[in-house]
Amino acid sequence: MTRSLTILGLESSCDDTAAAIVRHTEHDRPAILSSVVTGQKDLHAAFGGVVPEIAARAHTEKLDFCIEQALHESSLTLQDLDAIAVTAGPGLIGGVLSGVMMAKGIAAAAELPLIGVNHLAGHALTPRLVEPVEFPYLMLLVSGGHCQFLVARSAEHFTRLGGTIDDAPGEAFDKTARILGLPQPGGPSVEQEAARGDPARFAFPRPLLDRPGCDLSFSGLKTSVLRARDAETARYGGLPRQIRADLCAAFQHAVSGVLAEKTRRALRLYLAEKPEDPIFAVAGGVAANKEIRTVLEIVCNEQGVRFIAPPQALCTDNAAMIAWAGIELFRLGRKDTLSLSARPRWPLDQTSPAMLGSGRKGAKA
Amino acid sequence: MPPEPLILGFDTSAAHCAAALRSGSDIIARAHEPMQRGQAERLVPLLEEMLNHAGAGWRDLHAVGVGIGPGNFTGVRIAVSAARGMALALGIPAIGVSSFEALAEGHVLPVMVLVGAPRGHVHAQIRTAPLAGKPSSGDSPRYMPLADALAQAGATGLPVIGPDALIRAEAITAAAARRLAAGRVIERPKPLYLRAADAAPPRERPPPILP
Repeated sequence: MTRSLTILGLESSCDDTAAAIVRHTEHDRPAILSSVVTGQKDLHAAFGGVVPEIAARAHTEKLDFCIEQALHESSLTLQDLDAIAVTAGPGLIGGVLSGVMMAKGIAAAAELPLIGVNHLAGHALTPRLVEPVEFPYLMLLVSGGHCQFLVARSAEHFTRLGGTIDDAPGEAFDKTARILGLPQPGGPSVEQEAARGDPARFAFPRPLLDRPGCDLSFSGLKTSVLRARDAETARYGGLPRQIRADLCAAFQHAVSGVLAEKTRRALRLYLAEKPEDPIFAVAGGVAANKEIRTVLEIVCNEQGVRFIAPPQALCTDNAAMIAWAGIELFRLGRKDTLSLSARPRWPLDQTSPAMLGSGRKGAKA
Repeated sequence: MPPEPLILGFDTSAAHCAAALRSGSDIIARAHEPMQRGQAERLVPLLEEMLNHAGAGWRDLHAVGVGIGPGNFTGVRIAVSAARGMALALGIPAIGVSSFEALAEGHVLPVMVLVGAPRGHVHAQIRTAPLAGKPSSGDSPRYMPLADALAQAGATGLPVIGPDALIRAEAITAAAARRLAAGRVIERPKPLYLRAADAAPPRERPPPILP
């Protein structure tokens, strides 16, 4: 039986308000009928990072407009949908809640099934949205809030091989931008500056390379950048532009070096499972960084593994990935009730030991 | 004659889920469940139960009325987001009703309405009737210590409602019904925060950049 599914996805877990509609007929390629993303960059610019309360306020007043636009662009109405999928965590809880309540309001009133999607599953299933990819594949999820290696075994079953024990790389890019007086978000501004810099001028640490396993750490790196900045500033009575570029280049080089080596280790573990068609995919905002993409691709070529990097618009936060994850879950029979909870913490791999925030509230991701 | 408008009203701006269903001038169902947390899980199932109980369906509604605060920021967003979703799905208006308007409903005007805020403060608004028989309107809400608000009310001789008065969803449906009957363009409900988000620009400045 071939069955066509059309699902509306909603995303509001960080600073992008997004709605998208994806259609999929079995044995056919999925089609993104519309994908609307409204960012909040300007709202947070003055604060040097995303302010949760400001983000939540913006989501609440923007999301229904995004949905209307997504319906309009696809020339569909709610009656044409089979279900509505919404990010139910992990993320900034105020924003997640706005999305979940909006989805419940629509699902109840339009009598549509509701599917709560893990934001990380949205990223981790994106390779299957853009290319024919079979499970199991290895995934590096690398963004402003997350950094982990996952083996995707099905739409609901992921094994985490390792992840960051402190900051995510995107956070480190943002902090580096902040201490060097570059605009937020730090990813693109540090990358742009790094292009004119000499990475060899500074030797920054490669944290955790001396330890086995696939875990990563980035908080020490940003401290090293800060120390180097202070030393140079003291020497010149300010930070010379060229040295700032060199700091950016050396920082980016350190991040890509760590990610490359840890990817090598993760691939070793994954390849030991003897997958039929070995695939390594990246997702998340940091996957947009060209140096990082390039080194990861080189590592994959060394090992004869297919490298997949979805287009940038599908690497950063978007709702098409949530709609697609919704389609995958719906086909497996997943449906949530109208008492669905929004979860600030929701690890994708529920069996591996918690890495972050393993306190009373449980693991973050 | 057209059917009496059916209006669903609800509020989660404080430690409760409050809901009511109004048909014309009659309240045909009501619920008030106190809870410190769990409003996001409970609200929509509660509304469905209420509609079922009244023998009504979502498609029978002419409008939804929703409490927009001031109140608990997260609580207000829970109800406002759900109301906007319902309005979108049904193609009917969602009508925002402030805590001040809801609390003044049914009282002899003018009154001073106080809504509790953190750290011993309140939001105060004076509600007056511009014309006999018309709904109330309010002045610009002020944020101040509770004692100051009570002193002001004492000096002006205004009766005080609050700061711990319960918001009743019946009152929200009444205010929404009037707004619907007025036939003017209805804007989407927005939370009434009355306080800026807690956020400060980073204190540390980067060093001067030399050419």
